[in-house]
Amino acid sequence: MRTLLARALGLCVGLLLICAPIGAHHGSAISYDTAHLWTTWATVTEFNYLNPHPSMTFDRVVQDGKVEHWVSELLTNPSELARAGWTKGRSVEALKPGTKVKLFIGTSRVGGFSGIVMKLENEKGENIVGLRDNVKAVDKDGVPGGLQPSPEEIKEAENDKK
Amino acid sequence: MIRNSDCRRFSLRTAKALALLAILAVFLAQSALAQNAAAAANAGANGASPYPSSDTDTRSYDKHDLSGLWSRNPAQFKLPACPECREHGPVPGYGYHGNTPARTPEGEKRFQANKPSRGFDLGSKDANAHPEVDIGMRRAVPPARGNDPQAACNPLGATRLVTFSGGGASMEMIQLKDRLFQRFEWTWDHREIWMDGRKLPNVADYLPRYNGYSIAKWDGDTLVVTTTGFDDRAWVDHYGYPISDQMVLEERYKRISPNRLQLDMTITDPVIYKGPWHGDTKVWALIPKESMTVGGWSGLLEDRCIPTDESLFNKFRDVAGGKR
Repeated sequence: MRTLLARALGLCVGLLLICAPIGAHHGSAISYDTAHLWTTWATVTEFNYLNPHPSMTFDRVVQDGKVEHWVSELLTNPSELARAGWTKGRSVEALKPGTKVKLFIGTSRVGGFSGIVMKLENEKGENIVGLRDNVKAVDKDGVPGGLQPSPEEIKEAENDKK
Repeated sequence: MIRNSDCRRFSLRTAKALALLAILAVFLAQSALAQNAAAAANAGANGASPYPSSDTDTRSYDKHDLSGLWSRNPAQFKLPACPECREHGPVPGYGYHGNTPARTPEGEKRFQANKPSRGFDLGSKDANAHPEVDIGMRRAVPPARGNDPQAACNPLGATRLVTFSGGGASMEMIQLKDRLFQRFEWTWDHREIWMDGRKLPNVADYLPRYNGYSIAKWDGDTLVVTTTGFDDRAWVDHYGYPISDQMVLEERYKRISPNRLQLDMTITDPVIYKGPWHGDTKVWALIPKESMTVGGWSGLLEDRCIPTDESLFNKFRDVAGGKR
């Protein structure tokens, strides 16, 4: 019973943490479709552990053998990462060029090869350079373009820019 | 006859029911807080937080000592959560909030010129579904299309520093006999609040400053801080509400319990707003320095906004915003 209650308490605390507001500096999430996340395996080509948010470029090989070159930013900012133990040195080492990672990503609302990375896993399935565990996403590994917004959604995003 | 196994099953069922009830209670409490938040908008300047304190510390403390590291999200330091510390505004995110007063023609002109990236997206379903929320929090555009001063690492200004501090980035108060220093982790900024009995300067005789000129005095157990002489390029918060160099800011800080700091703010700016603007009450939790550490080094992080880094980041940002 003690274990069960402890688990229940743990769940409550976890839910509270998940519900807590995310302290992103720059309102970046607005540029991306974070309601429809997807996953892909990718190879890191550049990683910048810098304010206001880390940025990363990566390649992904899609079904027809072509290589897509993507740009991205990480939702979690360096101060949050550092406090969670992902200091600069550890993060840069974990994401050095050539590293294979599984990304949980939301595509830019205007489409293209640009996204926001919500979560990263290494080849062992370990959560790296981030804080979030419970990220739901659909598998789009190898699918050209990953998960792109529909033409209507792109049009809506384009209208927002005016 | 009741068997032991029946008892065990009953206990397990009871435990499961209790656990579910506990989870439900937490969600109901959260929901009630959110609903109260909408109803209690503009609770600021009333001298009391509309939310019950979660501080269970009953030790005596000095109500006239505001020193310490303060956060609105103690859970990030593996300390008990502080529900009343969280932002209870009408949209997700940290801000000044409260009941926004009507703007003067000059205020409206300057309001329209500011293009923030926080709040509900301009023209989105959320923005349209919440007409009760002030338009300032329903007009967000992608950062690539906005003109938020922080996108070029320009100073945030006092109201924005204070209202943003605490969620992720924290704040430190250092109180001396004659002044109070406020340090802010995000942008690594600070302000000095003089408590030596001096009078406010004649603004016209001094250069405007992003954090203004601040004096303070005790009103009972409340430290009343008055600030003038602001640089009008700052925004009130990240929703792009403008200020003028005539703005007067009153802050009322009160250490309501050993581990809680409460703030009520009032903006008076006749150039921009037709009446005083009371912000929502803010509450911070005291963080022992031993809990705020990275690699064993305690205290605030040097979380600067660096123009060269920002410039690199903006290249990524602009692609996402369809600008390149």
